[in-house]
Amino acid sequence: MKKKIVALFLAAIVSASAILTGCGQQPSGESAAPSQEAEGKTEEASSGEKESASDAGAESTGERTKITALLKGTESTEQFQVFDYMLSNFCEEKGLDYEIELVNDMQDYFTKLQMYINSNTLPDIYGCPNGTLSKACLDIDAMVDVGAELKRNGYYDKMNGAIIDFLTDANDGNLYLFPQGLYCEYFMYRTDLFEQAGISEAPTTWEEFEAACEKLAAIGEIPVIVGGSDAWQLMRYLSFSPWRVTGPDFITNYQAGTDTFSDNESAKYAVNLLHDLGTKGYFEPGFASVDFTSACNLFFGGTGAIFYTGSGQIGLAEEMYDNGQLGFFPVPDTEGMDNMSTNVPIHAGFAEGFNKATYDDTMQEFFDYMCENFSEACYTQAKIFSPFNEDLPEGLPQLYYDTQPMFATAETAWTSWDDKLDSDVLTKIVDEQQKLAQDIVKPEEFISTCDSLISE
Amino acid sequence: MQKAFGKKSIIFLFIFPAFLIYTLFVIVSIVWAGYYSFFDWSGVGEKAFIGLKNYVDLLAGDDIFRSTVWHTIVYTIINVLIQVFGGLLFAILLSRVKKGRVTLQTLYYVPVVISSVAICQIFSKLLSVTPTGVVNQLLSLFNPALKVMEWTSNPSISLYVTAFVEGYKYLGLYMVIFYAALIGVPDELGEAALIDGASHFQEYLYVKIPYIKPVIIANCLLVLNGSLRSFEFSYLLTHGGPGNASELMTTYMYKQAFTSMKYGYGSSVAIMIVIICMAVGLIFRKITGEGAED
Repeated sequence: MKKKIVALFLAAIVSASAILTGCGQQPSGESAAPSQEAEGKTEEASSGEKESASDAGAESTGERTKITALLKGTESTEQFQVFDYMLSNFCEEKGLDYEIELVNDMQDYFTKLQMYINSNTLPDIYGCPNGTLSKACLDIDAMVDVGAELKRNGYYDKMNGAIIDFLTDANDGNLYLFPQGLYCEYFMYRTDLFEQAGISEAPTTWEEFEAACEKLAAIGEIPVIVGGSDAWQLMRYLSFSPWRVTGPDFITNYQAGTDTFSDNESAKYAVNLLHDLGTKGYFEPGFASVDFTSACNLFFGGTGAIFYTGSGQIGLAEEMYDNGQLGFFPVPDTEGMDNMSTNVPIHAGFAEGFNKATYDDTMQEFFDYMCENFSEACYTQAKIFSPFNEDLPEGLPQLYYDTQPMFATAETAWTSWDDKLDSDVLTKIVDEQQKLAQDIVKPEEFISTCDSLISE
Repeated sequence: MQKAFGKKSIIFLFIFPAFLIYTLFVIVSIVWAGYYSFFDWSGVGEKAFIGLKNYVDLLAGDDIFRSTVWHTIVYTIINVLIQVFGGLLFAILLSRVKKGRVTLQTLYYVPVVISSVAICQIFSKLLSVTPTGVVNQLLSLFNPALKVMEWTSNPSISLYVTAFVEGYKYLGLYMVIFYAALIGVPDELGEAALIDGASHFQEYLYVKIPYIKPVIIANCLLVLNGSLRSFEFSYLLTHGGPGNASELMTTYMYKQAFTSMKYGYGSSVAIMIVIICMAVGLIFRKITGEGAED
């Protein structure tokens, strides 16, 4: 009998340990909270349980005890820095807890967000790009009309026009997303290498751009650094010309099936441009396996002459720029075509939505607090431009002051193909663009393949 | 104690937790994937039942899927060669070494305990073109043109490089298994062969390797299964690229389900992977005569 009891006891231990091991696991992709957050949520952390997000904000009695957020990135990314700063201050004032769930990988983030949408348990605040996912959130009525809220508290008119344009919903023209910040993109170049290559002026057209690349290659320098393994980097070169010539029209019409690469001259131009840059050796060797972070390290570490970057990398560029080693220029014109005046891509980064189901008086209060303090958080915490048109505070790196005039009055936003294209089409174009830049397919084949994606 | 463990009820008690977990995480997942494969679903919103359309599209009209099947087969063959036959070779060499054997064994085993992500990062740096990685730096000593040799971004070789990296990681594991099997071969068998005039090469070829044949077959099956389901090396090193040059069935499934947001279609790819894995496993067992006793 004793032996039986011992055996049963052992079996029970094995079963219990297996179950407890599972329970003790942290959900994958979820980052730990920072110190300030940990203070506010020690109970949740110690219990090891993941509360349903919408339940987390308010208790069954209706009284809110906590604000929850789901953000993309890590503790060092801008979105976290801004929201952590504001939530910690606001919650301390109100005696509330807050919880920020972080998912760093883009794909993991989308999966997590989809899971919350499917189960209708979105947190109070969630990072969301304008496109398929924001539409899915709208379908379950989980998005506050941010535009209306901004009009209510008087901040709508202060917001940069291009940012509003970037985030405006394509279907009903409303604004459901709050910007992460204001990001502008431009080319940076090494002034010493340009001088050595005999290039006196920064290129203003793509022809001049290619001519500059040729001269730089002739003196043995890598003309352009690109993070070719990150889809968006190569896609920018495909998007520049159609954006400058047609604004959002080409890509919107392409997705709708009313325009094609073969019919649109600016799109054809862009295809040939990417092919030229890739096959003439203007990108760094092995560019297809270099990601954006590595590309940043390469360029700001002293390799290559031109790099497409932006306000998000001011921290990296600051020292070289102050020493006169770097200059910047906007997106060149497509020669022989009418280009719009805006030549600096402006976007809002990874925007945030507010869950309509949990948007109570406290959240509205937080929204107003956020608008009041957003610029301060942008400049002091995250070192990014504020989406509100306000004077820049003193003490920022010079590059802020020098680049701001490029977008201060811009009304047309960047058109991100990631947002406009159907996910399946986007994935296929991403594969094809890498083949195009590596000369695995010719421009004609690329155009024909891309046109067939929509007719499918 | 022994009497207790001999009882069926006690054995069942020990097996049940594993069986339950396996059923929950494997069988139920496969059934769910099978269910989703009959729908047109983006992962969010409403699902539309489309019957077998996903399978028809996959088998009749998807050239990329067909190429991923071929890539997976090539990938598997390379891995079997490196992990099983490379592992066996290293185990034989190890069994001949007298001094420093434990050190060598430990060194070969180190990649097994390093995570796949870290291994991929290490190889990304080693094989880097810009800035020049260690491999290209060394090769350029022999031929300066090799300084810009592309490894992971060259569509002609990216699949082989990816397969090599996985093979490198697990070679040590199979080496240890083979080594354990080899030292388990009774000494008298080898000694008898040597007395009969066999060389050491013949001793291994005709005595020791045939003796450990069941271990070789078991390892082949393990590597086959692992390689057919391999995901992380292709995804982390090349993202299946450039283009689809190193795309495997698993990375294609992931891209379809999570990047293209075609959950239904991705599920049908997943079901095809299950079917192909089972078919290859059964064919292998049939060829090798394994499972005949069942």
